[in-house]
Amino acid sequence: MKSRCSSISELLDKYFDQEVTPEERSLVEDHLPSCPACRSALLSMENLRNLIKSPVEEAVERENFPWVWEKIERGIQQEEKPGLWESLWSWLDMISLRQKKILIPAVAAVVILILITAPLLYEKISSYPDLSVVEYVESDTYNVMIYEREAPRVTVIWLFEGPEEEPLTS
Amino acid sequence: MDINEAQLISRCQQGDQEALKEIFNQYHQKLYRIAYGVVRHREEALDIVQEVFIKLFRSIHQFKGRSRFYTYLYRMTMNTAIDHTRKMKKVPPLSIDEEEGFQLSDDPDRRPDRILDHKELEAKVKWAMDQLSPDQKAALIFREIEGLSYQEIAEATGCSIGTVMSRLHYGRKKVQELLKDYVEGGEEV
Repeated sequence: MKSRCSSISELLDKYFDQEVTPEERSLVEDHLPSCPACRSALLSMENLRNLIKSPVEEAVERENFPWVWEKIERGIQQEEKPGLWESLWSWLDMISLRQKKILIPAVAAVVILILITAPLLYEKISSYPDLSVVEYVESDTYNVMIYEREAPRVTVIWLFEGPEEEPLTS
Repeated sequence: MDINEAQLISRCQQGDQEALKEIFNQYHQKLYRIAYGVVRHREEALDIVQEVFIKLFRSIHQFKGRSRFYTYLYRMTMNTAIDHTRKMKKVPPLSIDEEEGFQLSDDPDRRPDRILDHKELEAKVKWAMDQLSPDQKAALIFREIEGLSYQEIAEATGCSIGTVMSRLHYGRKKVQELLKDYVEGGEEV
């Protein structure tokens, strides 16, 4: 009995890939001599395989692989020296969950505290660090010094007594 | 898995680089074929092979022997190559001159016109393969380049044999259509 082309064409991929059972193989091989369409389909699969595979084989033949191993070795050695961040993570991995539950909130609290207090401390310590003298007036009794800052604008007027002079002797 | 391979893997799991070198000697050409099949570019394929062996050394302790070692390795290579392709989509490809250059040669296969034809055909094959889904591409490369059986492809890609057959059938059909000038059977239909 002649097999129908549609049922055979479903087997063509399997036949081409040598995945058919002996019965399926017989069915296909009985059909092929009388079917140019299926023969053409098989030939297309063969051509496609060559098109995909041949350049890869040529590339493998041209290649010299020992230096690739040297690069791999170097890559592994570089990975074996962990960076600061990786060291921190591995340290965190090593400590137990119980310790983590205490330690992580504590570290977070300290960081937040530093972030809040640092600007305040900075302001207190360095009050008006960029004041500059714009005017200085001397007199017999008092001296006046005027300081100014650009932003925010601040003006300081400093009034102080002049140096005591030695009493004149007659 | 044979005893030698099991011992090799065990040594590698304990951090023995010599064992990794033996695995490299055994598999580098196969992995290069797979990587090259995906990216179709020498330097990129070599980078992928390098990346795979470094990854393997780092993660081999996760290999529990539930699948065959080579399918584990093939899967890792395919995933790395496909990830690489995704990343490289944003980078424009090198021109022929930048990549290899034309050199005078007595070898007829190295003549500039032949190289150009060859490169153009290669570029078309790559373009056609890039039109496939990653799953179809993986199935086609495993089958056409490495000659894996349906069972092995199913293991390497984590799907059923039926799915492998379907991916191969539709993948082939699509690439054949895109490259019909080069692959048509030529017989009267």
